Amino acid sequence: MAPQAISSGGVIPGFDFDPESDLAQSPAWFLDGTHSIPPWTPLFGWFWVNLCRHGMQYGAEKLSLPTVKGWDWRFRNGGGYLTLLLVKSEEERREREQRFRVAIRPFIEDYDALWRGFVEEMLGRYDGLKRLDLEHADQLELLSHFEESIAVCRRMWEIHMYMMYGTFTAYILFENICRELVGIDDTSPAFHSLIAGFDNKVLQVDQRLWDFSRQAQQMGLGAIFVETAPADLARVLEADPRGREFMRAFRAFLEADGWRMQRMAEINVPTWIEDPTPALATVKRFVTSVDFNLESEREKLTRDRLAAEQKTLASIAPEQRGWFTTLLRLAQKSGVFSEEHDYYLDFYAHALIRRACLALGRRFAAAGALEGPEDVFFLIPDEIRRAGISPDQFDLRPIVARRREAWREWSRTPAPPVILKEGFDIDQAMALLVRSNDPIALKVVVGSMPVARPELKADLHGTCGSPGIAEGTARVILSEEHLADVQPGDILVAPTTSPSWTAVFSFIKGVVVDRGASLSHAAIVGREYGIPVLMNVFVGTQKLRSGQRIRVDANMGALYVLDR
Amino acid sequence: MRDPCIHWLHELGQEHNDVVGKKCANLGEMTRLGMQIPPGFAISVDACRKYMELTGVSGRLTEYFARLGDELKRSFSMQIEASRCAREMIRSTPMPTELGDDIEASYELLCDRCGTADVPVAVRSSGAVSMPGQMETYLQVRGSDEVKRRVVEVWESAFNTRAIAFRLERGMAVERASIGVGVMKMVNAKSAGVVLTVDPLTGETDRAVIEGNWGLGESVASGEMSPDHFVMMKETGAIDRTIQRKARRVVSTATGTANTDVPEDLRDVPCLTDDEIRQIARGAMDVERHFGAPQDMEWVIDRELPFPQNVFWVQARPAKYTPRTKAAETDYLVEQMARLFRR
Repeated sequence: MAPQAISSGGVIPGFDFDPESDLAQSPAWFLDGTHSIPPWTPLFGWFWVNLCRHGMQYGAEKLSLPTVKGWDWRFRNGGGYLTLLLVKSEEERREREQRFRVAIRPFIEDYDALWRGFVEEMLGRYDGLKRLDLEHADQLELLSHFEESIAVCRRMWEIHMYMMYGTFTAYILFENICRELVGIDDTSPAFHSLIAGFDNKVLQVDQRLWDFSRQAQQMGLGAIFVETAPADLARVLEADPRGREFMRAFRAFLEADGWRMQRMAEINVPTWIEDPTPALATVKRFVTSVDFNLESEREKLTRDRLAAEQKTLASIAPEQRGWFTTLLRLAQKSGVFSEEHDYYLDFYAHALIRRACLALGRRFAAAGALEGPEDVFFLIPDEIRRAGISPDQFDLRPIVARRREAWREWSRTPAPPVILKEGFDIDQAMALLVRSNDPIALKVVVGSMPVARPELKADLHGTCGSPGIAEGTARVILSEEHLADVQPGDILVAPTTSPSWTAVFSFIKGVVVDRGASLSHAAIVGREYGIPVLMNVFVGTQKLRSGQRIRVDANMGALYVLDR
Repeated sequence: MRDPCIHWLHELGQEHNDVVGKKCANLGEMTRLGMQIPPGFAISVDACRKYMELTGVSGRLTEYFARLGDELKRSFSMQIEASRCAREMIRSTPMPTELGDDIEASYELLCDRCGTADVPVAVRSSGAVSMPGQMETYLQVRGSDEVKRRVVEVWESAFNTRAIAFRLERGMAVERASIGVGVMKMVNAKSAGVVLTVDPLTGETDRAVIEGNWGLGESVASGEMSPDHFVMMKETGAIDRTIQRKARRVVSTATGTANTDVPEDLRDVPCLTDDEIRQIARGAMDVERHFGAPQDMEWVIDRELPFPQNVFWVQARPAKYTPRTKAAETDYLVEQMARLFRR
């Protein structure tokens, strides 16, 4: 079957990829591989393509970015495709720049107040959503709760992209200034020393899981954790009197911090609250570890950072130190924001979307409109609204059957990484990204290109995401579901990583990713754990095999295969 | 006054900072400089403490926060929830009869002095230490029951989320917070606004900057509209005026305040006369000299009294301003960021 035939079925009205008109609008559309491999369910695709797209354009407009008006998105076979909306005339660029000068000031003047205010706003909105008792709510309440969840998700993306554009702008400036004044950029270890050694919410959750592993041992539950498979842990613990006590505390922790799923950009997998297996699996791994990298690393990194700050400031002229320090502090906050926003924004909002959709899914299934509650992920909001008030009047099963079939087909057919207009090549497409000056495109999507250095005689080249040298066993992991295969001391080789991968960073020796930039997840978390991260290797997951011995020298941007 | 929990504003001075909070103590101090403030009284910080202890709220709060433990420091969501609970505890606890009676008696005395029954008053927080987010103000409050209700609401505000977060960050006891309250007669406002004895944007201290609008000062403080902007050079007395089109203003009503349209013929008229501008700027400069630091003050012009008796002061505090270098640094970074998009 031709894949085009599946996609043209019309899944997301207004945003289905249409080769003719969309390639006329822009000659290059890039697959968002980080978020949409494996393919999205139709419902999550709807949320992303509608609301993330809105957020990016909102953020670019609110800040009046001079050269770019955010990104446009399309949906094709479960993949999200993006292109940039470039400002077309020099005159408009100048006008936008005038407004930008005013709009960017809050980021410089009081970054913490800005971010903290948004976190409070969103937690307040989440609390509002959580207040409804879904079991006992009537159908009208459930439907309006669903609409409210969409509004909260939309607001989440506005804050997300406004903050991200502003934060990354500051980071890119810092990087440029460092290159000019100090002679280092974000591919050099010295640069990373300047911005590592900070706490953030995601790492705090890791720390809590570590604390739980110590508690489990003190309660004499070590043996249960060692002997039981992760999926059975909750059940086995609940059957033991001390285990029950442990689970009571653990569930209280999840109630506050478990609003997240194994996959960040999807809603068809359970949250930690529904199924604590991923969190318990991490506790299980920690139970057998003797020391927690994070704690000891944090102290060392903080010392290193303070030393690096002193050294760098000494090389800056005294009259320049004021603004340089302000900018340095801002750049340091970029890393914290990059990690923390995933928790407070993406994960939390999506977990609540899942909760709202499943609540309706259960009613639909009970009324016979759906086979099972989870089938709701194959609908789009307009179809959910169709049966929202009187589900017994509708049969949505044929839609689900058709979409599920298409979704399976999408997973079998890899999505092309970029769709280009006839006569347009990949170099021109990358040039378009660079020309946009879009801070997110530059810092998360494009990154720096590795420079091949023949004198190193390396097998693969990459750029430094986090400094260091490590030798160990390569472990090629293509998606989150296989994270459990990672063994202590391995070097993780992956296409890219996201916050749901954070837990393994505490016991691996290094990371090699096909794509990444200095503000992508692998680089930030690698720096906090003090392990080397080699990025933009492009072919790492193709050329390396699990079990191979490799040496990663992130400082030099080199990777060596030790046995072949 | 019989009860040490309540003090007349004009009997107070700087030395009463810890007794009644900064706002009330400063207002008292200003009367010593011959400046005019609306008649009113202060309810001491100790009254708040007594209320908490006598009613048992204090014990309940201590117990509640002890239960939350250290986790509270790390979790914003817990802070939000803790604030909600603490405020609920206070809101649902009426004040002890004796204290309530004292406030009632003082309010009646104030009514007698003003020659009006149920005189409308402003009820405002007055903390002994500056705390962000503790700026509760209730305007046009009438009748002793209403006054008492608002006083409890000001006490409650010591447990809003920002105040809780502030105490946690500073390592202060989170479960204890007492705050003073000022109760003063509402001025029948023609216009109102703020004056700073320093330019807050540049840090220049050679001028006084006044912003004002028709009606109550709330429209200026909220920053939602563009007020009239007057700059007076301290040395020469030269005045520079930027008159805005003022379409909306906040006015007193029988039960509170309301946002209303400014009559068409007043919209483009300056909300202060030159005499009033000079009077305000000079008053602020006096206070600046007295306290030895740039001031941020709130003024109100009475609708009926003749100049200069029509100028009233309702607040004075040290000005927060960006020193020159800081603003220049920000300008420089903004310029550099703008350049990123010119490649």
